[in-house]
Amino acid sequence: MPELRKDPITGRWVIIATERAKRPDQFTGHDESPHEGKCPFCEGSEYDTPHEVYAVRTAHTQPNTAGWQVRVVPSLKPMLSIEGALDRHGKGIFDVVNGVGAHEVIIETPQHVANMADLPVEQINNVINVYMHRFTDLEKDERFKYLLVFKNYGWAAGGGRIKHARSQLIATPVNPKRVKEELAGAKKYFDYHERCIFCDLIKQEVDFKERVVAEIDGFVAIVPFASRFPFEIWILPKDHNCDFSTITAGHQKELAEMLKLVLLKLKKAANDPPYNYIIHTAPFRRPKLGYWKTIHEDFHWHIEIIPRLTRVAGFEWGTGFYICPLPPESAAKFLREVQV
Amino acid sequence: MAQLRRDPIGGRWVIVNTEHPMLPDDFIKEEHKFKPMSCPFCPGNEHMTPPEVDVIRDENTMPNSPGWHIRAVPNKFPALIIEGDLDRRGFGIYDMSHGVGAHEVIAQSPQHDKEITDLEDGEVMNMLSMYCRRSIDLANDKRFKYIMIFKNYGPSAGASLEHPHTQLIALPMIPKNVLEELKGACSYFHYKDRCIFCDILRQEINDKDRIIVENKYFVALCPYVSRFPFEVWIMPKKHNGYFCHATHEELPEMAGILKNVLARVKAVLSNPAYNYIIHTTPVNTPDMEEGYHWHIEIMPKLTRIAGFEWGTGFYMVSTPPEIAARYLREAKI
Repeated sequence: MPELRKDPITGRWVIIATERAKRPDQFTGHDESPHEGKCPFCEGSEYDTPHEVYAVRTAHTQPNTAGWQVRVVPSLKPMLSIEGALDRHGKGIFDVVNGVGAHEVIIETPQHVANMADLPVEQINNVINVYMHRFTDLEKDERFKYLLVFKNYGWAAGGGRIKHARSQLIATPVNPKRVKEELAGAKKYFDYHERCIFCDLIKQEVDFKERVVAEIDGFVAIVPFASRFPFEIWILPKDHNCDFSTITAGHQKELAEMLKLVLLKLKKAANDPPYNYIIHTAPFRRPKLGYWKTIHEDFHWHIEIIPRLTRVAGFEWGTGFYICPLPPESAAKFLREVQV
Repeated sequence: MAQLRRDPIGGRWVIVNTEHPMLPDDFIKEEHKFKPMSCPFCPGNEHMTPPEVDVIRDENTMPNSPGWHIRAVPNKFPALIIEGDLDRRGFGIYDMSHGVGAHEVIAQSPQHDKEITDLEDGEVMNMLSMYCRRSIDLANDKRFKYIMIFKNYGPSAGASLEHPHTQLIALPMIPKNVLEELKGACSYFHYKDRCIFCDILRQEINDKDRIIVENKYFVALCPYVSRFPFEVWIMPKKHNGYFCHATHEELPEMAGILKNVLARVKAVLSNPAYNYIIHTTPVNTPDMEEGYHWHIEIMPKLTRIAGFEWGTGFYMVSTPPEIAARYLREAKI
């Protein structure tokens, strides 16, 4: 019999098909046509992108020239614009805010490599370092409340036709709904138990073992109990910390190792699937009206990786219920056992 | 500059690209592909599905044989199973229960290649009244709290069979998205003693910008806070919480506007994949009977949902609803 599972953080229910469980090779491929012509993200094509906002580059090289390792540029097709003051107003019963925000692209390598899984650990470490730098920089802009760092890899995951590894960041002037829900769910748990729900979840998963994909000193990767998607993976720091941008250099290196390992396992276990990953972290914490004083206690940053092997159809849109055709325990077993 | 807009019901924010709106031709159309196989919904293949639960068929024809016009059958590969108890339980910090529910498929027509837009108005009406009949029947099962009727048209919208069909899922709990929408509507209702959907309709009819078409009992519009380009809502003008309480006068008008709107979507966007979902009040939930207003949401699948949408619940809408409504209003059908 299938199971319904409820995510203890957001309250989302999931249907787990325990009997019609799919094997990794039962998920079919995807349809995409490659980009033709020169890649604007490769070294030597710096003038094909907007001017860089930030770069990790070799000493004595000029901005917007070769010699970089990681490069951040404004999005070619930004959905939000960086200039202008925030303007909130009403329109009858509706509320409107103008679209102020930052939308940047983080080019993860000067070489034409598609999947972050294929980059060396040191390079992934550089990328994480750049994420942290962008957090610190954009936090200074008081118009922004939240910064989302995410990656769209492959066509079905919303990735572009240019197969060059990159992530994106979007700073928004309002706290997005899903972020608020997650924070509120975690706070509610903390208010009652006086413990962080993520810390409790990590403890239970590490004891239970069946949904653990990999574990190192500072981090654990699990397939969540109420996965929405087959092969969904969460990477969680074992030490309680609400804010991704404050991790130590040691942890940063471990995170790079874990990310590389998990992405390689996913690539092998599910035949190089399209995926998204999203860094879930606390909103910018500024001491002013409405500031949530307990976030550092009740929230716990983590990365969610969601492979895009199934299609989201009418049922999911209508209900927020997801039908996950692969039990998380089986997914974790595949991922744990795959050799990389 | 783009706009952020907030859904007054669910609290969801969206970004609307008012600056560089995408137009119908800008969307890359995915190829429609289905596996060649014999169709379980075609007449003569009735044995390929589980036995029918309800049907409109010619007199003197036998159940599970040809001669039907609309046919409802249990899903052969159900996401939920009809027998058994919920058996809610905990597992450490987690909560879980059995996957009890109903999952049915409604074959809309015996003809394999006739979509809603190709059917006679009477046939569309039969389809809608079958939706109502199944809803009423399943609501008698007190285990069920919500009956969701939805259609996936085209592979990229999640359809796996080509023969036109609609799906129905009866759920033992009120799903999260529905609950959020209900809570939003109910809190407005309790504060203002008015229905938020009635207020939206009044404002939209007054504004005209986002209206596509209307008839005696229904209005079709592109919602102010669309999540997707060319999203369309069909709303009854008269306040009513339950889809299955639609009257005999309303049904033909509902059929007319649904077919009309789908024909416009098809014409403007060259036959896109789409989902439609009937949003209605939960059943067997006495404290949720007020404040909601049933409607149909149609969502063409033109864009892909990526990391940003998943992470935030924000949606990027590349065609403002005002422009989408104009295209749909002016479509020649």
